[in-house]
Amino acid sequence: MDQSEIDALLHVGEKPAGKGKKAKETPAAPAPAPPAPKGSAVAADKEGEVISEIDAVTAVTERETNKVMDQLDTISQLVLKQQDLITQVMQQPGAQDGAVQQALHEIMSAGKTIQDKVYEAMDLMQFQDITRQKLERIVYHLRQIHDYIVDLLGTGLKSEGERANISRTIAQTGTTPDERKTHADTVIEEFKRSQQKS
Amino acid sequence: MKILIVDDSSTMRRIIINTLSRIGYSDVIEAEHGKAGLEKLGQGGVEMIITDWNMPEMDGLEFVTVVRTTNSSIPILMVTTNAAKEDIVAALQAGVNNYVVKPFTPDTLKEKIESLLG
Ligand SMILES: [Mg+2]
Repeated sequence: MDQSEIDALLHVGEKPAGKGKKAKETPAAPAPAPPAPKGSAVAADKEGEVISEIDAVTAVTERETNKVMDQLDTISQLVLKQQDLITQVMQQPGAQDGAVQQALHEIMSAGKTIQDKVYEAMDLMQFQDITRQKLERIVYHLRQIHDYIVDLLGTGLKSEGERANISRTIAQTGTTPDERKTHADTVIEEFKRSQQKS
Repeated sequence: MKILIVDDSSTMRRIIINTLSRIGYSDVIEAEHGKAGLEKLGQGGVEMIITDWNMPEMDGLEFVTVVRTTNSSIPILMVTTNAAKEDIVAALQAGVNNYVVKPFTPDTLKEKIESLLG
């Protein structure tokens, strides 16, 4: 992570608290505009700045998440190598003593647990994509406010190129994987039944 | 069994690839949006598609719709954060065979893939 990225993270952490709120509270159609004060041009610029900062955060978190994944991959490969070595040792004539075999089995079993935990940690990294999409939703709302101000004043930043379309309905925080699966399966079943009828 | 994974998140592609390799599928190719997915598909040999919905350039729904104009049989699994009923129905209408809501567990992904192939 370089300094500008760290700065972006720090800025996002301290500055936009008020603006984040504004994004949530301001629906698609903002209230009729009062005569534009000079400060609005600055606000439009700030809005654009916040959007760039959020974009920087998502880029950094994706890259850093991949670094964590690299580490987990390395651990996983080392565990596999260790398991191989233990298997070889178990077959050695000098390792046939009952207590030694017992200890080796326990080491194998611990290795298996480590491997499972590494896989679980990898799966948990899905949070990165979910968080990114939540941030993208915030960016979407900020952009609407930004465009509104720009329309009002004929000034400000130009729209950027095409972005990923945003998720309107990210699964509610707190739903369990089972609940999400059951929900999807229920809709699929209903859809299939309705197809058969028609 | 060659599987095409289409998702704009490199983290998510990696997680899906990991899960696939754990359940025995290691012949995988990747694309970061629908447009790139169509190119990969054009190179041939793909037997199953796992696609995200929210992506730049071409989203998953459009991608599936385009794929279905020329290929009605390839199994398509959509893996997305979009959880609303109308989204799931729209995806099924576009031609998706099954649907997984992110974040998923490896067991769910495994079950869905096996049901598509079995
Ligand atoms: Mg996406």
